[in-house]
Formats: sequence, C-alpha cells, structure tokens
Amino acid sequence: MALWRFLRSLYNRPSSAFGTTVVLLFLLLALLGPLITPFSATEQIFQDARQPPSLAHWFGTDRLGRDVFSRVVIGARDIFTLAGLGTVIAVAVGTLIGLLSSYLGGLLEEITFRFFDSLLAMPALLLALLLLGTVGPSRNSVLLVIAIAYTPIVARVVRSVVLGTKTKDYIAAARMQGERLPFILFREIFPSVLPALAVEAALRFSYAIFLIASLGFLGVGVQPPRPDWGLMVNEARNYVALTPWSLYFPAAAISLLVVAMNLMADGLKRVLQVGETL
Amino acid sequence: MLVRHTYCKMLGVRFTALLILLSVILGAVFAQQGTLRVGTEIPVQLDPAFASSDAEIAVLNAVYDYLVDVDAGNNIVPRLARSWSVSDDGLRYTFQLADNVLFHDGNPLTTADVIYTFNRLRDPDLGSPTSDLYSNIQAIEATGDHEVTFTLGHTNPFFLFDLSDNHALIVRQGAKDLGKVFNGTGPFIVQDYRPEDRMMLSANPDYFIAGKPGVAKLELVFFGDQAAAVSAIRGGQLDLIMRMPTPLFQSLASARGIQRISVPTNGFDLIRLRSDRPPGNDPRVVEALKLAVDRQAITKIVTQGLAVTGKDTPIGPLYDSYYLADLEPPARNVARAHQLLVEAGFPDGLSLDLHTPDTGDRPDLAVVLKEQLAEAGFDINVVVEPESVYYGENKWLEVDFGITGWGSRPIPQFYLDVMLVCGAKWNESHFCDPELDRLSQLAGTTLDEQERIDAYAQIQRLLVKRGPIVIPYFFPQFAALRNGFTGLELKAFPGRTDLALIRAN
Repeated sequence: MALWRFLRSLYNRPSSAFGTTVVLLFLLLALLGPLITPFSATEQIFQDARQPPSLAHWFGTDRLGRDVFSRVVIGARDIFTLAGLGTVIAVAVGTLIGLLSSYLGGLLEEITFRFFDSLLAMPALLLALLLLGTVGPSRNSVLLVIAIAYTPIVARVVRSVVLGTKTKDYIAAARMQGERLPFILFREIFPSVLPALAVEAALRFSYAIFLIASLGFLGVGVQPPRPDWGLMVNEARNYVALTPWSLYFPAAAISLLVVAMNLMADGLKRVLQVGETL
Repeated sequence: MLVRHTYCKMLGVRFTALLILLSVILGAVFAQQGTLRVGTEIPVQLDPAFASSDAEIAVLNAVYDYLVDVDAGNNIVPRLARSWSVSDDGLRYTFQLADNVLFHDGNPLTTADVIYTFNRLRDPDLGSPTSDLYSNIQAIEATGDHEVTFTLGHTNPFFLFDLSDNHALIVRQGAKDLGKVFNGTGPFIVQDYRPEDRMMLSANPDYFIAGKPGVAKLELVFFGDQAAAVSAIRGGQLDLIMRMPTPLFQSLASARGIQRISVPTNGFDLIRLRSDRPPGNDPRVVEALKLAVDRQAITKIVTQGLAVTGKDTPIGPLYDSYYLADLEPPARNVARAHQLLVEAGFPDGLSLDLHTPDTGDRPDLAVVLKEQLAEAGFDINVVVEPESVYYGENKWLEVDFGITGWGSRPIPQFYLDVMLVCGAKWNESHFCDPELDRLSQLAGTTLDEQERIDAYAQIQRLLVKRGPIVIPYFFPQFAALRNGFTGLELKAFPGRTDLALIRAN
C-alpha cells in the first residue's frame, strides 16, 4: 500500500512520471536482455556488415556486422550492473563511514573528511582516469573507481544529516539508556538519513552511468568487444559518415537514461520531502 | 650594311623581348607561391637521432636532408650526395656532395658535417634506436673537399638504404639542442614552432635543388586525433593529410574538392606470441594460433578489402623478386587447432590477454581475432591501450600476446635484423631460431643476388611453418589532398614523402 502511494506520488508530475517510466523500461530491457535480443552482442555476421536499420536489424549493424540493437540492449544490462553495483558499494561504504565518523566526531571525523575533501577537489572523471591509470582498465577496475569516486560524496550527505540529528533529545535518551553504538547509528539515526540517501543514490546512479560511458568513450573503461555504450560511441566515431546508426543509437541510449534518471531523482526528492513533512 | 645592322638590332630587341616573356612565363610556372597546410600527428621527439613517428620524420624531412634518399619506387636517389661509387670488393662507398649547399644559418655544408652526423648516429653512448645499422662501419673519412668515404668491415648490399634510414638526416657538425634548434639544409626553414599546436615554415631561398620547394610557406598543424584532422580537411582548414584509418579514408569519397590517394605498402599489423616462455614456447600452441586465423576474412572485414592478404612473413609482394608468391600458409583448420591446444595441455581452452594500441585498424583486428580464435578454444581478453601506454616502458616487448603496427621499409632485411633475429632490439616475439639467424646473416651480406633471393625464400618458408607471428595483411597508405595542389608523390612511409615537390596551382 505504501509502495503504491509512493509510486502514485512519483507519477503525479509528468516529468518524474516520464523519468520513472523510461528507467523502468531500461531496467526491463536489462533484465530480459538475451531473451529479447535477436543476436548475440558480439556475434559478427560479416555479410551483414554496415547495414542500415531494417526489419532484420532494427538499429542496423556496425562495421564488423554486429547487431546494434542487441548491443544496446545487452549494453543496458552491463551498464545497470556496473553502475548499480558501484552505486551500492559507494552508498554502503559512504553511509557507514559517514554515520560512524560524524557521530563519534573528534579527530576521526576531521581526518576522514579532510581526506574526502581532497578527493572531492578533483573532478570525478579525472580521479577515475588517475585510478584507472594505476590499476589498469577492466570491469572490476571501473567498479572500484565508481565506488572510490562516489563514497566521499555519499559520506558528506550522510554527515550533513547526522550532524543535525545527533544533538536531538531522543538520541541523548538512547545513549542514557545505555544503548550500544550500532543500535544508535542504525535504529535511531539511520531512518533520518534514509530519504536524503535515497535521492543521493538515484543521483549517484545517474552520474555513474555517465562516468562509465565517459570512461568507455575514452577507451580506458570496459574493454572491447563488450557492448559498453561509451565504447560503442568511441568505436563508431570514425564511421559516422559510413554507419551513423552505430553511433546514434548508443549515444541516444546514454542521453535518455541519464536524463530519465535525473528526472526520477527530482521526483524522488519531491516525494520524500513531502513524506517528511507529513 | 645599315640594313644588316638594323636587322640585327631588331633581332636583338625581339630576342630580349622573348627572353623577358620566357622569364615571365617560367616565373609564373615555377615561382614559390601559396601555403601548404598539412595535418599530422603531434611530434614529440625532434632530434633526428631519436625521432620515429611519421609526424616527426615528416617535420625533419622538410627541415633537413638525407645523404641519399629513397623514391616512391624504393630506388636509391641522390640528395645531398649528387653521385657515389662502390669499390669492387663492396667495402668502400665514396660520395660526392652537392655544391653550394647551405645550412639555414648560412654556413656551407662540409664533409665534416656528414662525418659528424654518422659518427653521432653510431655512437653507442648516444643510444639511437638504429645505431646497429652502422656497427659495420670501420671508418668514415673525407677523401676530398666534397668527398666522403665509408669503409665497411664486411659487405652490406643494403648499405645505401641504411644511409637513408629515417634517422640519418645530416646535421651541422657540433650542433647543439637538436630537437629545439632546427638548423638543417632542407627545403623549408622553421619560422615558428608551437609544440603540440603547429609549426610554421618558409621556403628556403638558397635550397640547392632548383625549383624546390614548390610552395612559399608550409604549415604543419598537429592533431591528437585523426578524425579531427579529416574533419579539418573536409572543412577546408587543411590541404593535405597523409595517414588515416580505413573508414576515415572511405568517408572522404563523397567530399568535394578532395583527391584521395592510396598506395600499396609493406606496412603490416603483426600478431605475435612470445616464444621464450609458456604458452608460446610450445610449437603446438604456435601452430594452433596459425591454424585458427582466417587471414582473408580479416583482410575483408578489417581493411574492407583494401589491403593485401599476408602470409605470416614480413617479406611482402612489394619486394618483387624476394617475395615468394606461390607460398601459402596452411588452410584454416579450427578442429586441428583445437586438437593441438588439447595436446599442448589446454583441454579447457587457453586464456590470453591480447594487448593492442588504440590506433589504426588494430582494435578492430583484435576483436575479429578474438572471435576467430574462440572457435579453436582460445579465450582472448582484448586490452586496448593508448600508444603511449603500449609502447611506454617497452611494454610491447614484454607482453605474451600483442598486435604491433610495423611501418613500410624499402628493404626486407630491416625487419629481419630488428624484429626476428635472436636478441634483436625489437624482437617482440622473442623468437630465436639458429636457422633463421644464419639465413638472415647470409641475405644481409652476400653480394650474389640469387643467393639472397634463395635465402629470403627459405626464411619465408621457415616463418610460415614455425614463426610465432601472424601477418594477416599489408595495409595500404592513404592520403587526401585538396584540389589546387599538385605534385604529391605519396611514399609507403608517409613521413618520407617529399613535401617540397608539391605546388599550388
């Protein structure tokens, strides 16, 4: 019932309704993936190379005869997995560090957040390039990079809520009752953090998609022949005059998903704030 | 008498008028006019002893001169040396230098400059990458005012080609700050160099070859991205580009006002497996690799059929009599390749990282190769890296499995000497075969042409059979030139193309 009310609130505005629908559609594509794609994402059908969109190949084929539609759909699965996992790790680690260090305060908080400040001073893409230059390009490296790039941001958001919450009377009461630290952190403080965290997670997820695509485009992220959208745009760049469809479809998928995620995050923010005031 | 005098006078006036008319016409035809804007990759190392990329050689070839040059048909032609002779025993090469050659700072070219240049190149302490080419030189001495003689330790039928190696640009004796100060004898004088942006050059008014250069100004514009250079020529911001991947060349087919030029070369993308350690030191793995590759399919899909299919040897069809036309690598046999892998101890497949630079058609070659090899049981993980990473810290010489682009050279001996003989500097497959070393030594020293042809034939058979290399194709070289310019003679190594020949109409 609560979920139904939540979804109805999200669909109250056309922008967030559009965003949520598109994200859910992409999620569905990612889940169904190989069941709905007519070809494997890496299958090279040489005699069909460079074909424009047709009934046989909805989004056409690329220079090596690979079906662009299949690659975009399987690419959605890849990008959801990578961005999703990276965001989950960043949110989990960021929340833990944010809760613990901000609640305990003192030197631990100072050291932790000054270190995070130094990481945040660098743009995420630059930080990612530096890290990938160290560990080398691979899927796991990209996952690690997303986690490292976004953990400080999540921790700061958590901290901003904890600093306002830890001085509240009910927290002092819990302490006086002799409650243990984990109980205070996760049962007393964490529920206050949750709405902001949900919005932040949605935003991080959208930025993670963009970061993965950017790294793929720069050729330092996911390696060929995996159907990474950014990598597909990079590979198709030289072919824009010959097979423009192999560039336009993955580029459109990146834009659409990032815009939709942001619209959904806006809606989420609005709905959760409304919930808070109620 | 008077009539005769008047007649002579009239004839004189007419002759003078004719001379003036001729000079006006010739002036219009040969005057250096216009600016040629050439797009190249970004040069980094501009000391002739260390320059290696196409862009670097293109810059230096405009500013300096070689002692002898190689034309588009792979023939040795005069440049600073107007003539030469070889002693009967093949050990003494004597060169007569051209007269009236001036460096850009006004000093005349002397035999001391030539001697200094080659002594510098062969100095092991300097560490020029091709210093081994000159290890056979016993002495370089001036034997006349404009005459230099090289004495060799043993015969070298390709010595003239060695003297025209990319690095062998003649610099002034004792030149300092090479790479920053550009004092050559070449057809163009550097006016302004903005690293990573462009280099502005003007025609050398004292150039010793009449009629060269053909344009008044040369502007070399540096691009980090070949797609951007192609866009620039399409948009009219460049007049010439000389190196681009196949799809970009094809995309220019519909561009107005641009001529596309394609020449066959002996350049190739080399797929090689390290053979000095597992798994590449097992001949069965090497054979499985060779049997699993479909070279013709690769040529068709990766180069759109514009390249010539290779046969796993660097001695390509451009080498005419040295090339073994009727030699064929074994037909593709996936089942046999799989069986060989099983016998070699890889019943569940062999996993390998395939490293490749991100330039040219190499990433596509890696992806197609991965699919072909998968059918035989290879599990290939493609690792595409920027050139700076692939070639940086000699990573390309260390990895087990890699793809490396090798530019075209006028003689096949170069590839054997630096890439395939035991312990060669760039022997990236770490191949060491006494039989190949013996044949290579023979081919590189004998003065008997037939003996050399036979040695090269045996080398090709040996490499097809057991060389840990696959050469799927010999790629063509592409260029695009805006209408309004003529005279381009594109060379297989584009950096060696003579920009001084190009004229603005």
